Amino acid sequence: MSTRSAPDWLAALQARFGAVLRTPLDRSAGSLRADVSAYDRDALDDALDGPRRPAAERLAVYNRQYWFRLFGVMQTAFPLTARLLGHWQFNHYAARFLLAQPPHAWDLDRAPDGFEQHLDGALDAGAMSDALREASRIDAAWRRLFRAPATAPLRPTADDAARLLDARLVPSPAVAVVVERWPLLELKATLANARGESAVALPPRLADARWWALAREPGGVRHVALEAREGELLTLLGRHTVRDALARLEATCSDAERAALPANAQRWLARGIERGVWCGLTTEPDTGDDQGITQL
Amino acid sequence: MRASADRCGFRATRHGAIVAPVSEPSITANNDAPRRAPAALARDALGLGLRIAHYGYLFEHWPAVGYFEVISENFMGPALPPRQRLDAVRARYPVVLHGVGLNLLGPDPLDEAYLDALCRLADHVDAPFVTDHLCWTGARGLSHHDLLPAPYVPELVELAAERAAHVQRRLGRPFGLENLSSYVEFRRSTMTEWEFYTSVVRTAGCSFMLDVNNIYVSSQNHGFDPLDYLRAIDFSRVLQVHIAGHTREPDGTLVDTHDHPVVDAVWALYAAAWRMGGPFPTLLEWDERIPPMPDALAELAKARAVRP
Repeated sequence: MSTRSAPDWLAALQARFGAVLRTPLDRSAGSLRADVSAYDRDALDDALDGPRRPAAERLAVYNRQYWFRLFGVMQTAFPLTARLLGHWQFNHYAARFLLAQPPHAWDLDRAPDGFEQHLDGALDAGAMSDALREASRIDAAWRRLFRAPATAPLRPTADDAARLLDARLVPSPAVAVVVERWPLLELKATLANARGESAVALPPRLADARWWALAREPGGVRHVALEAREGELLTLLGRHTVRDALARLEATCSDAERAALPANAQRWLARGIERGVWCGLTTEPDTGDDQGITQL
Repeated sequence: MRASADRCGFRATRHGAIVAPVSEPSITANNDAPRRAPAALARDALGLGLRIAHYGYLFEHWPAVGYFEVISENFMGPALPPRQRLDAVRARYPVVLHGVGLNLLGPDPLDEAYLDALCRLADHVDAPFVTDHLCWTGARGLSHHDLLPAPYVPELVELAAERAAHVQRRLGRPFGLENLSSYVEFRRSTMTEWEFYTSVVRTAGCSFMLDVNNIYVSSQNHGFDPLDYLRAIDFSRVLQVHIAGHTREPDGTLVDTHDHPVVDAVWALYAAAWRMGGPFPTLLEWDERIPPMPDALAELAKARAVRP
């Protein structure tokens, strides 16, 4: 074990330096600038003036780097959301998020974790806000797919079939189900090859919501269209036993849908297995750790 | 090395991409490459920092490169796509690991879970050596994701050396510490940077990961002679030398951006290092405005031309 502790004076100095790093950049002039007047006096006293810059301006290099690095990470993690807002406005939300939840992990790619929930609470009511919420959930689903470990798809045995109804299908972390009320996946694909920072126009709302299964494959992420009830079932199956999920779905169906449900459910389950939507079968309750099915 | 560049399309840039684009290049599997290239590096090998922007070219052409250096943290998580890419690269080239998250000079004890993951990765690629920075990257449970300097004092030599020795023991392979580019100096310092750096490496019994661009950047920002720095280095302990480009701000401050070709002054410093202690493996880092891979390799090849 590495037992030696850092001296107290170092921890104090680093706490002051860390506060300088996290000092919000000033947006008032229409660009992001370090506000050296906000730096702690003791942090300034820790540093020496240099041949070209006073201490405050030297610290400002780190202050800017901190924010621009994290803004870049956030924009990369939430590219669709960033372009719908435009980078200037997106950075505003990102800064509020990062001030509330500064990065803790050594893995820089985890810094954006939870941004979609933060944005959900930060946005007002209204169609544009709803579209942004949807965009951030799609971006978050995409991130989860990329970061998912390797898993083997569920290939049920005869024994599994016998216990299927009272078991819960474990969602594969490499598959996500999303719903869109605006054609955002299409927009996301378009933006992947279009650099830019300005806000793009939100496409017209779809007449009917569309459901998709996103699946990570060797060549990238493939999205496959789902029937609406199929998408709802896959979402319910991530949280409940098969029996409960079917019951919950049935309760929302029309008479015609209810009549067709047994056959459709068989077909959707078979298709889900074929597509690798699940990676296991369990009798354990959902702990909320399964990330494969996007919660809507 | 900058703390962030390739991961976020920025470090993703540090590094390019946490999001896998649908069109992300796939790996060409039909080359008759050996199952795995030897791990060892030639002492005068030329290597390149592995970046996502180069995957398309790399996986199609498999160009002649002495070795690749990868950012350790980009491959320490459970995500499958990065590991698949890494395995494909490792099948054909030696791979060395370069970390940005060890937090050697942080106030908190070293993160043993982080070290566990680093050790697993080093074993996985059979890395000839592993490097990180003589710096701190976070404090009090927060990670700043930058390579931050500390005051240069004897008390911290002991702290850093004990921790570096611990890391090397855990890894079971050579561990090198990289010198930083820095933009600030502390009132509390009582040693020069090179006195601090060489003392830590000597006391720890580890190695130097010498970045000549960083020496040049800091020399211009703080007003010292970069050759004084080089003269303090025991080149028998140098695992690798980094070269990179930087940006000059209007007031003359240099920032270690890794977004330009290597400047003549840094090539001159590299040549001086080679005269003092070559041969050593040499690696080009390019993290922003990354040029096509053939251009990056052409820049790397200049190293051979400037060697005395």
